[in-house]
Amino acid sequence: MTDLLAGTTPRERIGEAIREGVLPGRVWLYSNYHCNLACSYCLTESSPRSARRELDPATMIEVARQARDLGFTGLGVTGGEPFLLPWLPEVVGEMARELPVVLLTNGTLFAGDRIERAAVFAGHDVAIQISLDSHIPDVNDMARGSDNFAKVVEAVPRLVERGVTIRIATTTAWSLDDARLDPLKQLVADLGIRPENHLVRPIVRRGRADEVALGVNAEPADIPSELTVTADGAFWGSFGPTVRRGRLDSDLLVSRTVLPLAVPAETLIGLLRGMPPGTDARLGIR
Amino acid sequence: MSRIDLLDPSTAPISVRSFFDGGDPGPIVGALAHVPELVAPTLAFVGAALGGGAVGPRYKEFAILRTSALQGCQYCIHAHSSVAFDVGLSTDEIRALRGELPLEEAFADAGERTLIRWIDAMAGATGPVPAEVWDAVRAAFDDHELVELSVTIGATMFLNRFATGFELPTSPGTLDALDVVGLR
Repeated sequence: MTDLLAGTTPRERIGEAIREGVLPGRVWLYSNYHCNLACSYCLTESSPRSARRELDPATMIEVARQARDLGFTGLGVTGGEPFLLPWLPEVVGEMARELPVVLLTNGTLFAGDRIERAAVFAGHDVAIQISLDSHIPDVNDMARGSDNFAKVVEAVPRLVERGVTIRIATTTAWSLDDARLDPLKQLVADLGIRPENHLVRPIVRRGRADEVALGVNAEPADIPSELTVTADGAFWGSFGPTVRRGRLDSDLLVSRTVLPLAVPAETLIGLLRGMPPGTDARLGIR
Repeated sequence: MSRIDLLDPSTAPISVRSFFDGGDPGPIVGALAHVPELVAPTLAFVGAALGGGAVGPRYKEFAILRTSALQGCQYCIHAHSSVAFDVGLSTDEIRALRGELPLEEAFADAGERTLIRWIDAMAGATGPVPAEVWDAVRAAFDDHELVELSVTIGATMFLNRFATGFELPTSPGTLDALDVVGLR
């Protein structure tokens, strides 16, 4: 429908905001909040006991379809641990027919034949992003849980061999250019990952990290403002829908309405207009 | 004590934070903010329905306070007893609208009593407005005034259920003000 006052449609306004760099091009989806791990700095307090807060498959696919129609350029799927959902590979495959997908996982659920659940993305426009925080197994596992390191370094080369695009994400309390990260960067390279596919980012002091006073304090302007869809509504950024003491944070909530996607997208654009481009890059949160 | 969490400046969603910039916006906004996309349109509607208009604040407060009394909304009765006093209603008129005095003791004007009986038929009953009530009010008020007041009544009934259902708390300042004039 055309807005008679503005003379443009929501689709035109959203597409323009994305092209101008006002609104980031990626839409994130929290497929679920439960996880087989319980990382010490987790933004969402995810654990095996967490409320699932699942998006249903039809909603995820419709978000992808509408995102492409509105001019978004990419999708991200995160959790929780998305691979705990039995239908996840099939749905992400459907979403990737609309837009390129980055799929975040802890990489611990790919032992033996289960590797095939991720290997199906070989040749598709899906990059799997796996977390690895230290080259020292005990240090990595202190934050992320026992055997995490071993499972990740076992899974990554097997996925790379199968032709799956893999990114490694490191969340660190150190400065992003700290030389102490060099051995980890070398390990990541040895696993077959190119440097541009290794993201290093700070711990953001929200969710469980806030409860234990970890990480950097971030204002909304520091947090990438990618439209983020959850079962609880649409948020400012994938760092927005955090949980502390079992309750969802509401401070970065944009709207409870998720679909049509133009509703939260236009509200978010309204908040972003006037912010200088690059404002959200100050702390290197990504 | 409210039955739901009332959001404050630290928990208010980013898309409605401007409503909290000037301090505590009150429990209605603190509750509505759980669904941020409802805040602006709801406040715009309620503001237009309860404020300003062509019929004037006296008759607006007739509609709001009488409806709130009929619906048993303590939050709205407190808030609008204070507003009614501020716009010039006497304490007896306020008590009569709250059902604490006979209308005849507080309102000498027959037209005003007719209006209140119509409000009673709109907000305190179900089904059609009785013909004799309608004929009387129609003789004393224009169509646009009755339309405006019917919207005021409807918006007030929404607020009554919202505030009562969630047990929104009356502010201490309002209760103190009512104490001063003996209307608590």
